Amino acid sequence: MLVSIFFAFIATIAFGKLFNTPRRVLVLGGLVGAIGFAVYIYMKDVLGYSSMLSNFAGTIVLSIISEVFARIFKEPVTVFSIPGIIPLVPGLPLYRAMNFFMLNAYNVGMEKMVQASLDATAIALGILLISSIARLFKNSKTRALQAKIKE
Amino acid sequence: MACEKIMAMTKEQVMEIAITAGKILLCSGAETSRVEDTIVRMCALRGMNTVSVFCTPSVIIVSNEFAGDFTCMYRVSRRGTDLGLISEINELSFSFARWQHDYTETMNILREKLNRPPRPNYIETFSSGLAAASFAVVLGGDLYEFIGAFFAAAAAMFVLKKIAPFRPSSFWETTLAGVILCAVALVFQKLIPGNSMEKMTVGAIMPFLPGVAFTNGLRDYMAGDLMSGNTRVSEALLLVGGLAIGMAAVLGIWHA
Repeated sequence: MLVSIFFAFIATIAFGKLFNTPRRVLVLGGLVGAIGFAVYIYMKDVLGYSSMLSNFAGTIVLSIISEVFARIFKEPVTVFSIPGIIPLVPGLPLYRAMNFFMLNAYNVGMEKMVQASLDATAIALGILLISSIARLFKNSKTRALQAKIKE
Repeated sequence: MACEKIMAMTKEQVMEIAITAGKILLCSGAETSRVEDTIVRMCALRGMNTVSVFCTPSVIIVSNEFAGDFTCMYRVSRRGTDLGLISEINELSFSFARWQHDYTETMNILREKLNRPPRPNYIETFSSGLAAASFAVVLGGDLYEFIGAFFAAAAAMFVLKKIAPFRPSSFWETTLAGVILCAVALVFQKLIPGNSMEKMTVGAIMPFLPGVAFTNGLRDYMAGDLMSGNTRVSEALLLVGGLAIGMAAVLGIWHA
């Protein structure tokens, strides 16, 4: 498990490089991805929760961390969150679904397809939840600033 | 306030600077709400409080609430992903309140960012290969699968970079990537028996999955830009479909 978390870290950094992330936050971005993946794999393999719930938890943790990092390092949130969610993306069920479809095993293929889309939905819900909460904070801050300017 | 120190600019010049910054943001794959926020903020800092911006992933329109005023519009046809540029423009827009450069200098800075030559191909080829190879290990692969996934993703990215001057649509680009990486993984599996096709392919498709479109689309939904959200999420679904079709084609030929 530690090996896979470490390689999730490397993979996130490589993604950051692919998307041309500023160099000073490259390693931090890798950290975000590794923490999100660690939460996911711990919940799924050790605690035995479903893949969907683990994805949801992992996304929530990494979104919170990337919002916090974005405030600390004065960077846009997407610099951290876009490479960060990549390790959670359900590539394996997608591939299996395609493979089973091509073997005429539609039942199993459809099961994998539904699993892939449920995982993607869980990730989407996690992002939606945290970004809407972050927006609430931001709006309250802007309003305070506007009130100050008016005075 | 530090209003005395900043350089004087006319209304038109401020608007032109703002839309150029927005153009760079949208072309580097920022969320549309970020583009709108940036333009409105840059205009408001120079005392233009009635500016309205409408932005979708393919167009930016900046205008005023009042009739008889001017409109700027920019049509975006080609979008990439460059988080570095987004970060630079973000910094620029926040420092716009105490901006020391005049119009010409600012436009030169922005033009330099806009016309910055693309990075050499080998960086993107290598980093997508490394990302893919690391994913193969995350899924439990060994050294052979690491190497296989590296070459599968690097070959697909290399071909995409080679055909980029012909401007193919992103759907066919992704489909082609799916075909190439699946074929290369198949070759590796034949060369080294016992290599898991699954781990290599799943690792190699990771750099081509539309994670940026998906994340930005969802963030746009929450910002209230429903149209942009729909556009981006359907773009992501289309690209995943393309990747799946490409993989399925190779797998179908293999199983046949």
